[in-house]
Amino acid sequence: MLLSLLPLLAFAGCGGNSPAASGCLSCHAGIEHVSATHRDCVACHGGDGKARVKEAAHRGMYGRNNPSAPEHWDKSCGSCHLYQLDRVKSNLMYTTTGMIRNIRLTWEGPEEGDYASRAGEAYDPAGRALQLKPVAELDHLSGELYRKFCSQCHVARESGEVYGESHASGCAACHFPYNDRATYRGDDATVRGRRPYAATHAMERLPGNEVCSRCHNRSGRITYSYQGLNDGNNGLVPTRFGLPGPVLASGNRNLTRIAPDVHFAAGMDCIDCHTSRDLMGDGYAYRNMYLQTEIGCEDCHGGARPPRYREISGESDEALRESQGYRMQMRPGMKMILTAKGRPYSNVFYRDGAVWVLGKRSGRLFKSRVITGTPEHTVAGHGRMECYSCHSRTVVQCYGCHTSYDKTRSAMDYVKGVPTPGRFSEKEDYRTLYPFPLALNQRGRISTVTPGCQTFVSVVEPDGSVSKNEYVARFKGKQQLRFAPFYSHNTGKKAIGCGECHGNPAFLGFGQHVVSGRNIEGTMICEQSADKPLDGFLTLQEGRVRAYSAITREHSRPLNGTEVRRALAVNLCLVCHDKAADPIYRKELDHRALNDALHRRLIPAP
Amino acid sequence: MRSMMRCIVALSLLLSATVTFGKENCTVCHKKVVKGVHRGLPCLSCHLDETRTLANPASRESRAAGCVGCHKGYAALFDQPMGSRRGELDFVAASYGRVDPGFFGKNCSACHLKGCTDCHAGKGHDIARPRDRDCFACHKGYFVGTDYYGMAPREDSMRYQRGEVAYGEAYLKMTPDLHAEAGLACGDCHSMKSLAAGGKAAKVCTDCHEPDRRVPEHRIAAHLEKMECYACHSAWAAQEYGTFFLRFTNSPSQELYALRRDQGAEEYLKSAYLRRQDAPPLGLNGRGRVSPVRPEFIAYFTDVRNDRAVWDENRLLAARWKAFFPHTVRRGTVMCEGCHDNPRRFLLERKEDRIYQLQAEGMTLPSFWDASGQQVTNGAFYPARRYRDMGGRTGDYRRAYLEKWQNLVNHVETSSAP
Repeated sequence: MLLSLLPLLAFAGCGGNSPAASGCLSCHAGIEHVSATHRDCVACHGGDGKARVKEAAHRGMYGRNNPSAPEHWDKSCGSCHLYQLDRVKSNLMYTTTGMIRNIRLTWEGPEEGDYASRAGEAYDPAGRALQLKPVAELDHLSGELYRKFCSQCHVARESGEVYGESHASGCAACHFPYNDRATYRGDDATVRGRRPYAATHAMERLPGNEVCSRCHNRSGRITYSYQGLNDGNNGLVPTRFGLPGPVLASGNRNLTRIAPDVHFAAGMDCIDCHTSRDLMGDGYAYRNMYLQTEIGCEDCHGGARPPRYREISGESDEALRESQGYRMQMRPGMKMILTAKGRPYSNVFYRDGAVWVLGKRSGRLFKSRVITGTPEHTVAGHGRMECYSCHSRTVVQCYGCHTSYDKTRSAMDYVKGVPTPGRFSEKEDYRTLYPFPLALNQRGRISTVTPGCQTFVSVVEPDGSVSKNEYVARFKGKQQLRFAPFYSHNTGKKAIGCGECHGNPAFLGFGQHVVSGRNIEGTMICEQSADKPLDGFLTLQEGRVRAYSAITREHSRPLNGTEVRRALAVNLCLVCHDKAADPIYRKELDHRALNDALHRRLIPAP
Repeated sequence: MRSMMRCIVALSLLLSATVTFGKENCTVCHKKVVKGVHRGLPCLSCHLDETRTLANPASRESRAAGCVGCHKGYAALFDQPMGSRRGELDFVAASYGRVDPGFFGKNCSACHLKGCTDCHAGKGHDIARPRDRDCFACHKGYFVGTDYYGMAPREDSMRYQRGEVAYGEAYLKMTPDLHAEAGLACGDCHSMKSLAAGGKAAKVCTDCHEPDRRVPEHRIAAHLEKMECYACHSAWAAQEYGTFFLRFTNSPSQELYALRRDQGAEEYLKSAYLRRQDAPPLGLNGRGRVSPVRPEFIAYFTDVRNDRAVWDENRLLAARWKAFFPHTVRRGTVMCEGCHDNPRRFLLERKEDRIYQLQAEGMTLPSFWDASGQQVTNGAFYPARRYRDMGGRTGDYRRAYLEKWQNLVNHVETSSAP
């Protein structure tokens, strides 16, 4: 049985050693091999490798240049890599059901059904079948926004025209990276200089940071923050060679340098933390990316408990298979660190009492410092904080997103492939990096949050009349702006100081402010209401904490009066007990202690 | 008393005019009607001479010869900062003037005192007291004025040029000054007399206000002795970090910059590296008191010819700060940590706290919040030693700190409103 299958496998190109179709190379001489195991043109591209004439040879090809596109991937990549393809088909980076759902929720869109980049069937984590409706059928402003703005960034469709942001569709989106101008720079003379094409025909088994950066560079802009780049105020200065600078990004944006993430500075790539299941999915269709992502800081650094590991025991272990492409391969018996979802990493292991991270591309070994049990990390009450609430150097915040939808003009619908009436344009109020607000996230933990979004919508009807003017949508039952739990990926080794966070109400969500008696009033205010901060979501009015924005995601919310009071009350101790290691912080603070004899002697009343 | 003064002035004016009364025939040709407080005055009381008429009696060129006959001494205004623009001229001479001698004329001439009627109603024959809007012809954007009504300058990028426009500036809405809310106008503090005398204002805070001793901060002697009231009570201030002027010669690449085009000559574009609108840094002003300070300006220059930068690009021409009064007074202030535990606010940012990596961009300075390589035009940066002393946790400090925080914490209700 096995023997009879072998020739079939070789024919399909999986054998890895079948000779390249000589016919193809008569024109495409010099073209790069995809990899040592991918040498047969026809196995991936289809067509006729023996034909002598271009038209005949190209007949029946899987697409002009990208056989991995969703139209063809069942026949090409999927014919060998079925396990990966099935995962990608449910993967949020492909379906974008999360993005579309969030836009629907925040733009008053229809609540029923699951829309995706393309129609399809997927299974949710409980195993229930989901019928994904194509977003082309989402007949609502939220669908328009997705199709005309957001759809450029996902694996389901190629984006070939955007400087620095172009990518292929399908598997090639990550594994055959485009360069900034989407131009082929390889050695095949028939294709050289043409666009949009991958930069080279050699496959990128382990995509680098610049691949992630093709998409993850707007809104949260995590690849920029990670690498120490700030998409700041679009000021286009300082110049570079007399042109807008110093680093240009798509959409007339410029990037300046800020302190990078500590992991980036150490030499780690995006994929050194993010597993293939984070990026390609694990086969289930999750509602949002924060549910698909399986990793957490505590996996390597420990939290209340030290990192967990599991030994590689079987030869079918995923870590063995996945690490084949790394500079160092995992071996049976190695103790692989587990992700937050309890599944092993393929590059993080426990050895000699330490946690080690292998750079998948670099081969470098990074030692992870485990913080479990250290005084700074056993402060009573801090158990429910996300690590990055203290360890973020900066958090990208964009305040006031004024979006206009003008039906008197038309714009490209990237999903339908034709221009249709209705064009979006955006203006903005203010961006900042520091300080940053905190609120409760979907895990009930204190997390950094960022506007997500403060959208003010204006709609111009075909007759030029304005049907919506700076409209704030209803969310969670009332008209309000929104903040979203968010990890900026600009991590610092040094944490925000105790006094910085407890002593500055901006961190609790009050925005920039002044304190006056029993009031904390924002000084940067919403155009529509003088008593609401623009860069925050809380005010204190005569001792009463009021929240003006929602925190997106289930169970998320701003801090309430009790929590605000408790956080601020820490200052009553911090002025003398200014070290986290101080024993008083090992248990809940007892503020009555201030009235005991010892304290009264040290700090007599005036 | 005041009305009596008015009577005397009017009578003396009438007397001086009677000589020429009956002879004046100007209005036969010049159909002008004088309105307002000068109504009824003969033409020549301002235009002086029938044969050698003073065309513009209020002009700077004549040193307001037509006005100062009565309003004696006010010609001195032309010698004071608003008229001489000494500060701006000196700054440009030391910065952009080094690379373009015509810079001031090209980019700074919009704000230039041409005569009395600049402020006292523009039409000349309808002379009146200045209204706030007359001040805001110049005192707007980054120049203290409209911030009094809660208007902060927006980013130069067109993406940010939106929302309400006042006095030609799209502005970001901020908390207005308490005095503006109470209905006080610019002139209520800034009198003609004070301006002519070269002072900034006729009144200082303590002319009207006595620091309330129930406020813990007001009981700290050093606060009252060493600080301007507005060091704490300025709620926010526009701060521009890294002012860029780009000059283009024969360079279509100028079109690539989606920036405001109304901030100078056609050949120039202005942009900024970073703006902040929060509580400004603190330094020492001319009289040695702690005061808000801000960049005016950290000036960079790029000369683009034929679409290429010539000489050094992003050249730092000056890094100057000014002690100033933001006019954003609120009753409230930041908490103790806002100053005592905030080295960045005194330009003493620790290296490990640096966010913006200026030197990686060739911008010369290690950080905007590091005094090295920078200076204060009208004062000094806060000495590092004094900052260290200020950070000392003395018993007095702890006591006041506790009182301050207890005042706030004990009043936060544990229930919260939605």
